[in-house]
Amino acid sequence: MFLLIPLFPLVGAAINGLIGIRFFSRRAVGATAVGAAGLSFAAAVASFTGLLRSAEPVLVKTLYTWVPASLVRLAGGKAAPLALDFAFRYDSLAAVMTLVVTGVGLLIHIYSVGYMAHDRSYARFFAYLNLFTFAMLVLVLGANLGVMFIGWEGVGLCSYLLIGFWFTKDAAANAGKKAFITNRVGDFGFLLGTGLLIYALGTVDIAGITAAVEGGMLAKGTATAAALLLFLGATGKSAQIPLYTWLPDAMEGPTPVSALIHAATMVTAGVYMVARFHVLFSFSGTALTVVALTGAFTAVYAATMAFVQTDIKRVLAYSTISQIGYMFIGLGVGAYAAGIFHLMTHAFFKSLLFLAAGSVIHALSGEQDMRRMGGLRARIPRTYRVFLVGALAISGIPGLSGFFSKDEILASVFASGDYLVWGLGLAGAAMTAFYMFRLVFMTFYGEERLSPEAGHHLHESPPVMLVPLRILAVLAIFGGYVGLPRVLGGRAWFSRFLETSTGTHESHLPAGTEVLLMIVSVGASLAAIYAAYVIYVKRGGEPARRFAEKFRALYRTVSRKYFVDEAYGRIFVGGVFAAGRAANWIDAHVIDGIVDGAARLARRVSRLAILFDGGVVDGAVNGIGRVHLAASALLRRLQTGYIYNYALAVVLGVVLVITLVIAVL
Amino acid sequence: MIPIEAVLGLGMIVFTIGLAGVLVRKNLVIMLMSLELLLNGVNIILAGLGRHLNSPRGSIFALFVIITAVSEAAVGFALVLAYFRHKKSCDTDALNDLKG
Amino acid sequence: MRRLPEGGRMITLAVFSLFGVLAVVSAVLVVVQKNAMHSVFYLASTVLSTAGVFFALQAEYLGAIQILVYGGGIVVLYIFVIVIVNLKEIVPEQRKLIPKIFLVGVPVLLCVEVVTLVLRTGFPAAAPRAEGAGFKEMAEMLFSSYLLPFEAASVLLLAVLVGAIVVARRKHIDDPD
Repeated sequence: MFLLIPLFPLVGAAINGLIGIRFFSRRAVGATAVGAAGLSFAAAVASFTGLLRSAEPVLVKTLYTWVPASLVRLAGGKAAPLALDFAFRYDSLAAVMTLVVTGVGLLIHIYSVGYMAHDRSYARFFAYLNLFTFAMLVLVLGANLGVMFIGWEGVGLCSYLLIGFWFTKDAAANAGKKAFITNRVGDFGFLLGTGLLIYALGTVDIAGITAAVEGGMLAKGTATAAALLLFLGATGKSAQIPLYTWLPDAMEGPTPVSALIHAATMVTAGVYMVARFHVLFSFSGTALTVVALTGAFTAVYAATMAFVQTDIKRVLAYSTISQIGYMFIGLGVGAYAAGIFHLMTHAFFKSLLFLAAGSVIHALSGEQDMRRMGGLRARIPRTYRVFLVGALAISGIPGLSGFFSKDEILASVFASGDYLVWGLGLAGAAMTAFYMFRLVFMTFYGEERLSPEAGHHLHESPPVMLVPLRILAVLAIFGGYVGLPRVLGGRAWFSRFLETSTGTHESHLPAGTEVLLMIVSVGASLAAIYAAYVIYVKRGGEPARRFAEKFRALYRTVSRKYFVDEAYGRIFVGGVFAAGRAANWIDAHVIDGIVDGAARLARRVSRLAILFDGGVVDGAVNGIGRVHLAASALLRRLQTGYIYNYALAVVLGVVLVITLVIAVL
Repeated sequence: MIPIEAVLGLGMIVFTIGLAGVLVRKNLVIMLMSLELLLNGVNIILAGLGRHLNSPRGSIFALFVIITAVSEAAVGFALVLAYFRHKKSCDTDALNDLKG
Repeated sequence: MRRLPEGGRMITLAVFSLFGVLAVVSAVLVVVQKNAMHSVFYLASTVLSTAGVFFALQAEYLGAIQILVYGGGIVVLYIFVIVIVNLKEIVPEQRKLIPKIFLVGVPVLLCVEVVTLVLRTGFPAAAPRAEGAGFKEMAEMLFSSYLLPFEAASVLLLAVLVGAIVVARRKHIDDPD
C-alpha cells in the first residue's frame, strides 16, 4: 500500500511533463497535478492508519534487486555479501514524513494553481512540482542508502529546476546553479559516508546498519567518520553551516517552491537522515556533539542575518536556516523525536508564512521589499490574519504548535547538561521572535510606503490561495498538540509513536524545571516582540536606522551576510577558475606550443625536403643531364669534320695497339 | 745481299713520309699523292720480304696493292672533280660537313 | 733467284741504297711542295726510284709494272686532274705549326714502333736464292693459288672504270641523277 504514495506524483509528473505541456489546458494540468498530490496524500493516510492498526512496526517491500549480492572485502579482511535492492521501508518515522510531505505538498499544489495562474510555463511548473514530491517520497521511503540517495539527488535536481524556473532571469539561473553545486559538495560527503559504511559493515541497508552498530561491529572512529561524512551531506541539503549559502539565493524561485522545498520538505531531508541513522550517531558521541553545535551556531548566525534583510522572502529564508538549526540541536542531544516534532510543526508554520508572503507579494503585484510595504493590515486583512498566526507560532507563543516543539527541544538540551547550546537556543528563540515581528510590523503596520502601481492594484488573494492558507493556519495552531508534553497534561503521543523508529529518549527533568524553562523562553520571546513593536511601530523604525548608522561597519557586515559568499566565491569558485585559466594557459602555450612547434618543425623539414628534392635530387637528375650535355659537347668536338683529324685518329689507334703489343712482348 | 732490315726501314720511312703528308697537307690532290707514297712504301717492304723468303708471294701481293692503288686513284680523281665542281676549292678543311 | 757473285752483291746494295735515298728525298719533296705541279713531278721521281728499288730487290716484274702503271698511268692522271682543276690559281692556307709537329710526330712514332716491333720479333731465316728470274713460279702461283683475287681484281677494275665515269660526269639538266 505504502508503495502507492510515491507512485501518484510520479505518474502526475509524467503526464504533465510529457503530454500536459503540449496538449492540456491549464485546468487539466492543475487537475492532474493536484489530483496526483491528493491521491498521494490519501495513500499516505491509508498507510498510516494501516500502520497504527498493525502489529508490525516496520514494513519493508523490495521491488527488485538492483545490484545482486556479491562478495566484497571489508575492512578487517572479512568478506561479506553486498547486495543493493530497490527496497522501500515504512515505519513510524516514514509515516510522519510521508504525511507531512504529501499533506503540506497537497496544500501547496492547490495554492500554486492560483499563484501561478498567469505564468507562461504552467504545465512545466506542476510537472516539476510533482516530480519533486516523488523524489522526496523516495528519499524518505528508501530502505537503504542507495535508494535514499536516489531521492536525495532527485530533490536536489528538482530544487535546481524549480529555483531556476524563470531561467531567463540571470539571478534565478545562477541561484539554481549555486544550489545544485553547493548541494553537490554535501552529496560528496554523503557518498563517502556510504562508501565508508560499505567498507566497514558490508551493507547499506537501514536495518542492517542498525543491527551492525547495535551489535558492536563498528569501531567508534569509523562510526564517527561515517556519521560526520553523512552529516556533511545533511548540511548541504538542510542549509547549515558551512553549506547554507544557497538557500537565501533560492528565493529567486516562485514562492510556492520556497514554501514546499525550502521550508517544509527538502531542507528537512538532512534532519530525516540523521534521525534515520540515529543509532550510528548515538554510537559516535562526537558526531552527535558536532551536530548539536552546528545546529546551535547556525541557528544564531542565521538569525542575526535575518535582522537586516529587507526582502520579505529573504527574512523567511534565514529563518528557515535558523529553525533547521533548532532541529539539529534536538537531534544533537539525542532527542530525535523532538527534532522530528519540530520538523513537522515548522513545516506547518513556515509554509504558512511563505505562502502568506506569497499572498502579500501577489497582492502587491510582485513587490517583495518590505521598505515599500506597510499598513497592509487594513488593506489585506485575511492575509494579515493567517500571517500573524504563522508569526506567533514560530515565535513559540504558548498554545500554538511552535511552542511545544521548540520547548521540547530546549528542555532536552537543558536536561542533557549542554548549557552552552541551551543558551544559544534561547537566544535564537528571542531573536526569532524579534525579526519575525519586525517583518510583521514593517509589512502590515505603520504608514503605507507602497509604490503607486502596487497600491493601485492592491487586492486580496483568490480563495484557491486563501483556503490552503487557512488550513495551514489551523495546523499551525493545533498541530502541536500531538506532542503535548506530560508536564502540561499530555501523554507525548508523538514521541511514543516514533519510538519504534527513533528509540526512546525521555528527558528526565523535574516538572518544575521544565515549567520554569518554558516561562523563561516565552518571556524572552514576548520581550522580543514588544521590543520589535516599539522600534518598528511606535517609532517607525527610527531606532533601527540610527543603530545601523552608528554601527555602520557591523551593519554592513551582517547585511552582506558576513561576506561568506564573497569568501566562498574567491576561494572555491575563483580557485576553479584559476585552475581553468592555468589549464588554458598550458593548453594555449605548452600544448599548442608543442603542436605549433611540431607544425613549424614539419614546415622546416618540408622546406629542407624541398631543398633536398630540388637541390640534391633534381640536381642529380639535372646533373646527369648536364653531364651528358657536357660530355657530348666535349665528345662532339671530336667530330671536327676535318679529314686529317679522322686520319690522325686512325693512326693513333694503330700506334696504341702496337704499343700494347710491344709492351706485352 | 741486301739486309731485310734495311728494306724494312726504307719502306717504313717512305710510308711515314706518306702518312705525314696525308695528315699535314690540306690540298686534296696532294693528299691523294701522299696516299700513293704510302702504298709505295708498303710495296717496298713486300718486295723485300718476297726476296728474303724466296717466294713470289711478295710480288703477287705487291701487284694487288698496285691494282688497288690504281682503282683508288681513279675513283679519287672522279671524286675530286665532282667535289671541285661543287665547292670550287680543293681545301679539305672546307670539307667538314660531318662536323658536329 | 740467281746467286750473285760477291761483287754483285756489293753493287746490288749500292744500287739499292742509291734508289732508296732517291725515293726518300723525292717523297719528302712531294709532301713539302706548295705547288701541286711540282709535287706531281716529284711523285714521278719517287715512283721511278721505287721501281729501281724493286729491281735491286730482284723483283723485276714488279718494277716493270710499277713504271708502267704508276708512272705511266697515275702520274699522268694526276697531271690531268691538276690541269683541269686549275689548282695553280687556288692556294689554300697552310696549317699552323703546332698541329704540324704533332701530325708529323705521330707517324714518326708509328714508324719507330713498327720497326721496333718487327725487329724484336725477328724475321724468319733467309731462304736461299735460286738462279734465274722467278717469273715462272710467280705466274704459276698467280693463276693457281691466287686465281680468285686475280679475277676479283679485274672485276674491281671494271667497277672502278664504271664508277669513276659515273661520279665524274657533268650533270645535265634532264639527267635523273
